[in-house]
Amino acid sequence: MTSLHGLALRMPAFPFAALLLVANQSIAGMQQLTEAELAEVDGAGLGFMLEDFKFAHGTDVQNGQIFKITGLKSTDGRDVELVVNQLYISGPNSDYGTNLSSVNLGRLVNPYSIDVRDGNDIGIPNKAVFEFAAPTKVDASVGYDCLSTGAGAGSGTCSSRPAGGIYGQGERPDIGLQMNVAVGDDRSANINIHAQSAVIDGSYIRLWGDNDRRQLVGQVKLNFYTPELSINACSQDGLACGSRILMTNFELELALGNQLQPLFFDVDGSGNFIVEVAAIPKPAPGTIGADGRRSSSNAAVWDYYNDYYTNPEYRSNLRVGNLTVGDRDFGSARVEGMLIQHLKIETRDLSQ
Amino acid sequence: MIINATTLLRALGAGVLFSPWATWADMAPLDDEAMAGIAGQGGIYLTGDIAINEFGGPLQNAYFDDCTDASKRCGARLAFRVKEDGGWLVLDDLRGKFSFEGLTLRVREISDGFGGDGAEFSGDVLEIGLPNIVRYDDVRFKFAASSTARPTDVGFQQTDILSVQIQGDVVMEGNLLVFPTGNP
Repeated sequence: MTSLHGLALRMPAFPFAALLLVANQSIAGMQQLTEAELAEVDGAGLGFMLEDFKFAHGTDVQNGQIFKITGLKSTDGRDVELVVNQLYISGPNSDYGTNLSSVNLGRLVNPYSIDVRDGNDIGIPNKAVFEFAAPTKVDASVGYDCLSTGAGAGSGTCSSRPAGGIYGQGERPDIGLQMNVAVGDDRSANINIHAQSAVIDGSYIRLWGDNDRRQLVGQVKLNFYTPELSINACSQDGLACGSRILMTNFELELALGNQLQPLFFDVDGSGNFIVEVAAIPKPAPGTIGADGRRSSSNAAVWDYYNDYYTNPEYRSNLRVGNLTVGDRDFGSARVEGMLIQHLKIETRDLSQ
Repeated sequence: MIINATTLLRALGAGVLFSPWATWADMAPLDDEAMAGIAGQGGIYLTGDIAINEFGGPLQNAYFDDCTDASKRCGARLAFRVKEDGGWLVLDDLRGKFSFEGLTLRVREISDGFGGDGAEFSGDVLEIGLPNIVRYDDVRFKFAASSTARPTDVGFQQTDILSVQIQGDVVMEGNLLVFPTGNP
């Protein structure tokens, strides 16, 4: 349900009229689809890719450029202002955003897509599911290693290709953000975050409606791979910089919500935003044997819990090939198999 | 909602829309065969601006006003309810102007290039040529959560989560290619 008011829009005179010519006869014959019928819908979907894409924006007050995020408050009630000095999406070898070039995002044969999926195919029974997805992962026999900037076909499961050779500029952008944060009158140094040759293949957002709770629910999968993620802080004039935190071969596979525990979005009665991953629902009645084996347990209940605890799709992973701070190496780090059993985030208005 | 159709538009190549009056009298429908022989040329080239509540919206009450009173909001408000009887997610105080020159629109046949993908794809796409520079003129919006849809409703309470302000030239180069996926 939406509410819209107070909107004045001035647009170029564009021939929209043709879009409004809907035949009256067809409206008279239209009927609502039931939930079950709607669940059978599997739209062909809309694919899109960006060819030779380049994006850059930042703050340069002298030249009238402003990009800032405000309205946040620190816990002691001071205003927090986040000024984005530079945000870019560029082709490869951008040298931390100083040399911007263009890049393709998505592939014609595996594009970004907007689709309505049949929930029965993706483990969400009898639902029509809206999906916004990045290029999908592919079979390792035809895919490309997600990290290597020199990967060839058959080296991994990512679809996006690194730059070079016949792939030209490739489909892996350099992405960077430089910002500074002011808390009250304390303005921090500039914080720079740069990711080289980034890949988000296999990421998606799925949205559908929950009948019992009567609300919008979703599932988010965020994959982010980069051979080099760097973070450093510089003085505001950019001349003096501190040590660079360098994470090589950075892999993040974040699963927020799953088929059993979707992500719930809500706003409570006092106007606070709530994000929740509920605990898994109880299966049909049945017991697990004292020895924990399937043979001594109710098979359906045992399978239900076994799937929940073993399905890698439900779990989040973070791997860093090597962590370097300045000239010190800290080696590799892995946090694998994180399972969110219950999560509830609620905003609070500190000004009240 | 008010839409004022008052701004710049150049539609090069869109001759169909701007035919001289004299030819209208002689127009006759084309049959299927004649239509099949027609290929579109050039596409559409758009230059213009989109302004949203640049000088305030049409409502003036305790909450909304024109943009001269800093204590009131003059931007548009969009409220979405994501749960039955729940609160509202709000895009509030949405205002500003986007200007661009040279947004192009055409149908393009792709059968080669793209690192070998073109030949495999071999089909038509809708190509939206991005305008290289989009000028944001004081574009602002707030993301908020609210207890009621309208600020004038009884029991209105709102938490502004964050607000965003963008001004200046944003570099946006490239082509957005849109096409159907799958085999309908």
